[in-house]
Amino acid sequence: MTMVDSAPAAPPRAKARRPFRWVIRGTILAVVGYLAGVLLTVAIRGGSPTDEVAVIFGYVFALIGWLAGIGGIEAFGRQWVGKKPQVSEDRSWGRYFAFCVDHKVIGIQYGVTLIGVLLIGGIAAMIMRIELASPGVGVVDLDDFNKIVSMHGILMVAVAVAGVIGAFGNYIVPIQVGAADMAFPRINALAYWLLPPVAVGLLSAPLLGSFNAGWTAYAPLSVTNESGQILFNLAIITFGLVSILGAINILVTVITMRAPGMTWGRLPIFTWAAFATSLLAFTVTQFFAGALVLVTMDRVVGTAFFSGEVGTGLLYEHIFWFYSHPAVYIMVLPGFGVILELTTTFARKPLFAYKAVVAALLAIVGLSVVVWAHHMFTSGMANFLHGPFMILTEAISIPTGIIFLSIIGTLWQGKLWFRTPLVIAFGWLFNFLIGGITGIFLADVATDIHLHDTYFVVAHFHYTIVGGAIFALIAAVFYWFPKITGRMYNDKLGIVFGVWVTLAFNATFIPLFWAGMNGMNRRIGDYPPAYETANKIASISALILGASFLLFVGNLAYSAIRGPKAGPNPWNARTLEWLVSSPPTTHNFLSQPRIVGHPYDYGIEGSVHAYFPDLVVDDDHGSDDVDHDAEGALV
Amino acid sequence: MVDEAMLLLEYLGAPVMALVLAVMTWSVIGWRSSGATREDGPPQRDNKTVVTTWLIVTSALAIFVVINPGFVGLAEIRGEPESDYVIEMVAQQFAWSVVYPNGAVGLDELVVPSEKRVRYDVNSLDVNHSFWIPAFRIKIDAVNGITTQAYATAEGEGSIDDDINLRVQCAELCGAGHANMYLPVRVVTDVEFNEYIATLLESE
Repeated sequence: MTMVDSAPAAPPRAKARRPFRWVIRGTILAVVGYLAGVLLTVAIRGGSPTDEVAVIFGYVFALIGWLAGIGGIEAFGRQWVGKKPQVSEDRSWGRYFAFCVDHKVIGIQYGVTLIGVLLIGGIAAMIMRIELASPGVGVVDLDDFNKIVSMHGILMVAVAVAGVIGAFGNYIVPIQVGAADMAFPRINALAYWLLPPVAVGLLSAPLLGSFNAGWTAYAPLSVTNESGQILFNLAIITFGLVSILGAINILVTVITMRAPGMTWGRLPIFTWAAFATSLLAFTVTQFFAGALVLVTMDRVVGTAFFSGEVGTGLLYEHIFWFYSHPAVYIMVLPGFGVILELTTTFARKPLFAYKAVVAALLAIVGLSVVVWAHHMFTSGMANFLHGPFMILTEAISIPTGIIFLSIIGTLWQGKLWFRTPLVIAFGWLFNFLIGGITGIFLADVATDIHLHDTYFVVAHFHYTIVGGAIFALIAAVFYWFPKITGRMYNDKLGIVFGVWVTLAFNATFIPLFWAGMNGMNRRIGDYPPAYETANKIASISALILGASFLLFVGNLAYSAIRGPKAGPNPWNARTLEWLVSSPPTTHNFLSQPRIVGHPYDYGIEGSVHAYFPDLVVDDDHGSDDVDHDAEGALV
Repeated sequence: MVDEAMLLLEYLGAPVMALVLAVMTWSVIGWRSSGATREDGPPQRDNKTVVTTWLIVTSALAIFVVINPGFVGLAEIRGEPESDYVIEMVAQQFAWSVVYPNGAVGLDELVVPSEKRVRYDVNSLDVNHSFWIPAFRIKIDAVNGITTQAYATAEGEGSIDDDINLRVQCAELCGAGHANMYLPVRVVTDVEFNEYIATLLESE
């Protein structure tokens, strides 16, 4: 019954013409840049080409070369010499490998890249769990184990930070606010194309001995370890740039590009969550980059920020957590948005307490920047800081509770339609609940002192980050897949995957709470035999968990090509992205949408979120005497 | 004390957990819909009473937890600054050394007097480490350039052979040998402790 603002018929799909030419040009210029940077450094100061100074200059020149080659010359460089900038106008699948400014292409680029990184990080996790299946040193030695832990950690953190916001923040937010694209499309493409160097930088670190200081990279260890650490620093500083540029784009898009009638009170909740996340990412990301710049200077030019008479490792911890605690919310806030969006769609009910949820999201943004030192109760910082940080940390549970209330309230007496996204949302709810409750143990100083740096913490943050961010990413993929690809996946297999991944995840991490409480510390490749049973259960379950992703990738990859046509609105949802064709046309809307009501008024007679005043209506079911609100409007 | 605090938090968490699980379970049983009819649920957009009640209850819970075990526990673990003995713990990649009150240095084990309040002064010669005796529920980082402190009173007697948690475990990633950077702990009587450190000093 819905009317859709769609193109009459898709134009014949263009054939890809030399689709990889930009990536090839970028790679060549990156290699040339790397060599130039290294050679220049060696020529000026002598030394080895693998010296950290040489690597730094090589990386910087390579990054510039890569960006120029991938399309930066055309998109930005031409403007500097007074010509009109050019971006990829490719209509074929080659646009996914080009400097394309369409936010939907960029969203898919983020999504596919980060799911690839997720799978690589997952393989690292499998190696760790195989090693930990029994005590003693098995498949990898202790130092390699630490390096694999560190690699797993940082790859997964990158996926959690950028997964939902990069893929769906880009794809969905502009459509949900009724805009044709992001506010700064070229910056958006630039931000994405900074991401492959991050992955390459991290994954090539083993060439320089890798990094063994964990994703946290605590100094002074990160000052004294092998040179792979320098690639970690450079890659993560670059990643910070990705995050900040992406955040600016979402903030400006939401503030300035909302369609007529899209007031702040009518903004879809996922967009609100993306907005809150971006506010946070824009404000705090530079602190991690700053900390890593200082680490790099300690390593390369002999400063002593984190060692010696005056410097101290405590300083690193403060700067690091000043980013990295808010980062936890950068990871889970978009997840809140996804789950709330799904719940209201599949419960067929208005989002319960919308205003309170928005207030809660903003309260979390505010509180999250003043709780960082709860990671440092055992660090040796001044004792008087314990109390205030404990209070503030407990306080953040109150807005988080509002999110739970909204989900419960929305489910209450709903007409629950158990399709794959809702099944995964239930997994999310269960996991994040455990993550939240176990968080209280870590917010409390007395219990945290024992539990800090144990497997209890490992289990807790996997419940919040995998449970809260990765499950939301998976749910979002299943929710918006029909919109993005225009095709539907196999729902039964989707539900099987949803149940499988939830059970296997819980079987993996529940035993680890026990291990941590009973004295097993984290980041160790060997442990006393007393913890063997818990670890064996965790390892077997982890392999089952890992295997579930074959079903995930298989189902989606097959369906993207062969799945049945999904139609514009398979979930009968109300937000703007469901009122346009699947996939949407290049500029999303053929005519300007006008927003006249709340997006989630399911069950409210005659309610309308948006309609297209200039759209020519098919005569099939739209004649002039039909009540516009009930029939013609886009419900 | 720490174990009691954990138990208390478990008791407080259980009803919260139960509430959400109940709603989830009932969602599957009672509120399920085939979706075929595309029927909408009741249009409940908000309910001030529910939201206010929820806010009051969750705030009360948070305040309760901050007070107990929060500040109560904080006061207890901090305790008085007095102690019967001061033992210095020096961490380096990847070993602990123990400096006893009489100046004797131990490298193979940490011997602790039972029923006596001991202050541990913790230092690091290189990167960050963390001084953790799981059985005593205490942990404090070893940071180069700073002396950090932790207090504990051991009860009963025993060694790592009785309880795997009677060990000084490094709990902060410190490099290749981190996993095996631990030192067995032996709890003995006060008299035995003094004899032990005296012998240790003589043998040096």
